[in-house]
Amino acid sequence: MDISFALTGKGYVIVAADTVAARSIVKMKVDEDKIKVLSPHLLMAYSGEPGDTVQFAEYVERNIRLYQIRNTHALRPPSAASWIRRTLADSLRSRKPYAVNLLVGGYDTSTHNPHLYWIDYLGTMSEVPFAAHGYGAYFALSLLDRYHDPEASVEEGLATLKRCIDEVAKRLVVNPEKYKVKIVDKDGVREVEI
Amino acid sequence: MSIMEYNGGSVIAMVGKDCVAIASDLRLGNQALGISSNFQKIFPMTNRIFLGLPGLATDVTTLKETFRYRVNMFTIKEEREIEPETFAHLVSSTLYERRFGPWFIEPVMAGLQKTHDGGYKPYIAATDLIGCLNFAKDFVVAGTASTKLFGVAEGLWEPDLEPEDLFETISQTLLNAVDRDAYSGWGAEVYVLTKDKVIKRTLKGRMD
Amino acid sequence: MSRSYDRALTVFSPDGHLFQVEYALEAVRKGTCAVGVVGKDVVVLGVEKKSVLQLQDPRTVRKVAMLDDHVCLAFAGLTADGRVLIDKARIECQSHRLTVEDPVTVEYITRHIAGIQQRYTQSGGVRPFGVSTLIVGFDPHDVKPRLYQTEPGGIYSAWKANAIGRSSKTVREFLEKNHKDGMSRDDTIKLTVKSLLEVVQTGAKNIEISVMESYGKITSLDLAQIEAIVAEIEREKEAEAERKRSRLAATAAGQAAMSQAAGGSGQ
Repeated sequence: MDISFALTGKGYVIVAADTVAARSIVKMKVDEDKIKVLSPHLLMAYSGEPGDTVQFAEYVERNIRLYQIRNTHALRPPSAASWIRRTLADSLRSRKPYAVNLLVGGYDTSTHNPHLYWIDYLGTMSEVPFAAHGYGAYFALSLLDRYHDPEASVEEGLATLKRCIDEVAKRLVVNPEKYKVKIVDKDGVREVEI
Repeated sequence: MSIMEYNGGSVIAMVGKDCVAIASDLRLGNQALGISSNFQKIFPMTNRIFLGLPGLATDVTTLKETFRYRVNMFTIKEEREIEPETFAHLVSSTLYERRFGPWFIEPVMAGLQKTHDGGYKPYIAATDLIGCLNFAKDFVVAGTASTKLFGVAEGLWEPDLEPEDLFETISQTLLNAVDRDAYSGWGAEVYVLTKDKVIKRTLKGRMD
Repeated sequence: MSRSYDRALTVFSPDGHLFQVEYALEAVRKGTCAVGVVGKDVVVLGVEKKSVLQLQDPRTVRKVAMLDDHVCLAFAGLTADGRVLIDKARIECQSHRLTVEDPVTVEYITRHIAGIQQRYTQSGGVRPFGVSTLIVGFDPHDVKPRLYQTEPGGIYSAWKANAIGRSSKTVREFLEKNHKDGMSRDDTIKLTVKSLLEVVQTGAKNIEISVMESYGKITSLDLAQIEAIVAEIEREKEAEAERKRSRLAATAAGQAAMSQAAGGSGQ
């Protein structure tokens, strides 16, 4: 039931994820943060099989950090996404694969470009201007086709995100109520209230 | 639902007069839901070999990386570029390595093979997902629209097409075939290889 | 006869020595000097830098490495062995965070490194690491600065101030004379530089200083800062010598006057 959205704009990526941790029909927690900050300019929203998600996200987090300590510089978004994808793809053909879907958003401080990657548990990866996972995808993607603007300001981007959230609230049987929203741009990562 | 149809996508390669062409759609889907309209399935292996990888998208990326690695290792060790015919067998054996747990990909390749008199000969080939090679003199197809591609290609292809005519033929074949397939489409890209250049064109297609 | 024990790696000699470990210690003694000093709420690492060749890039020759946000390591001995040990330690730091959420304590990572070093003295087909390390840092949720040392044999111990590598004995003796508990940041840095100057003749340009002030706050001093400290130390030494000279002169003058007075009375 996890829902996550992400969209790029002029020099930034917005990543949003609902904050519900549910077990079958019960909400166990309503303030869960499902967006990990992997490095100063890299975000990752994760969803999927409970247990696998946090386990995998932390594994990625530690490896990205290890890379940064070893090499002084952090991995750039395309390389980080590529490594994460390969980890999932290898896991898919292992005895116990991770069932985790990801949205990886980052800002490349060398080329000054925002990057967003849609990755699923099979290890499918695509660089996209906007993306969604979960039931939200069925409502939001068509909406983003219409309203997304790669040159939009942060305010406009957040307004578009709000449209997606409102659409889900309106049409989906269950409504997650709260979303955590994080933005990554040249200044790094920050959280915003929506 | 077959795993080969999970993400959708199709590739076709055709032979012309002293030239070859390879083309694919650009859709990446999750069954019926479209995810991306810019998912490349054709990759340059050398300046004269292009490889199309329709099938399960995770394996598209993994195999692209595997072949890049193996072709680079070949180039370094042999101190020469790999030839299309050799490359076809490399593809075949790479896929057969996973005979009992295959990559869900049916590769299509197009290239220009060096001849003894110093010229180039068009070369196309395709394999099934465990690496059974299929050479053809005219065209090869693969992907979710393969049945439709066969039909259209059968009607449009003729021998000894010049590069520009070959481009038109392969483009029309692909665009019209993927319009009859729900899992392929959303734009296309076409590569035409001649002895002295490679022409890449991106085509717009129906976005439905 | 004892030669034959050299050939089999890390096997006891009849009088209870592990020659390979002792050779490793010899490699450490040949390595450049590293000093660690603990202050009130600061811990400082100082290392002697080999002067790089004219065309070499000095940034690629580093002897102080970050293991995690809050732990630093300096080593003396074989650089290549040190690098391997550092990499193993870095992996353990991240692995520890992954398994138990918390960052490592300084003691934990020291014990881990010493454990690796010990392992390489007790299994076949390997040789010990030719490095001693100084590990400094702050434990999570704690304000006490910490300093540990490890040796090729796998020994580890905590210190208030210590030195490893070339002439470490001289430096340690100097530290024993001059270290005081609860030193300020500046005093700690100054003592580190001072102790290194005991063995580094070439001065500021061959000294590298890293200062850790609290959890995750690490700075390394640039050349200008170190030069300023060295100059200050020189000035103090100069003043001290001057005082000594004038005291000596005063004493001599006093004595002369006295002997003159004695002579005068004799006439």
